[in-house]
Amino acid sequence: MNDISTPTMNLLEKALDVTAQRQQLVVANMANVDTPGYQTKDIDFRSELQHAASNDPANFLPVVRSVHGLLERPDGNNVSMDREGLLLAETQMQFGLGVQLLRHEFQNLLSAINEGSKA
Amino acid sequence: MSMFSVLEISGSALSAERQRAEIVAANMANAETTHTPGGGPYRRKEVVFASSGNLPFRMMLAGFHPGGNNMIPAVRVQRVVDDSTPPLKRYEPGHPDADKEGYVAYPAINPVQEMVDLMGAVRSYQLNASAITASKQMIQQSIELIK
Repeated sequence: MNDISTPTMNLLEKALDVTAQRQQLVVANMANVDTPGYQTKDIDFRSELQHAASNDPANFLPVVRSVHGLLERPDGNNVSMDREGLLLAETQMQFGLGVQLLRHEFQNLLSAINEGSKA
Repeated sequence: MSMFSVLEISGSALSAERQRAEIVAANMANAETTHTPGGGPYRRKEVVFASSGNLPFRMMLAGFHPGGNNMIPAVRVQRVVDDSTPPLKRYEPGHPDADKEGYVAYPAINPVQEMVDLMGAVRSYQLNASAITASKQMIQQSIELIK
């Protein structure tokens, strides 16, 4: 953390990181929708964000898990198009939200700078 | 940049599904082919997909190592195999490829099966194309942060 970034910014940055990582896994699941034996992969957003927020970002390692409880096809693949489609939309919205909040933080910072120069 | 490697993963799926559709097209086009350079009728072909964690894209998450469970796998066509179903015999004594008893060997191709496979390939292609659209939008949003 430096002088200009706020704690909110740091948390938002990490939230965006975790969201982007989750989106990568969703995309990989979609790419492997027809690969025999492929198992759906995912990360737990809440625990990964908590982990990222409490640790140094340089050595942040997300835990990638196989998702259980999905219907497995005879070829050993358990990717659900519905689940991945939903998660893709979810991560996309979540990312958009994070970006908007971050913009808002920057604007707050900017107005603090500008108001200071008026005095 | 980790966000851009997402596009490579989706791209690998697009090219794999496209190749699958091409093979289906070849199967349907050669449904009546009785003569091939290798001899005998055309043999139905099938693609085998495999996930590959250590191929063209860079490992994007720290702690990801090739061969472990923790990798983000792209997809590729591992190989194209011939269907081992024996050819169908039809009695056509006048045909140039007929055997001594007058039977011609035709490829064992079921158009319904091929169409279903084609639909599967098209749907998977669409799924991955929409994933690319979503990833592009996320990258765009990140870029807009600096405006």
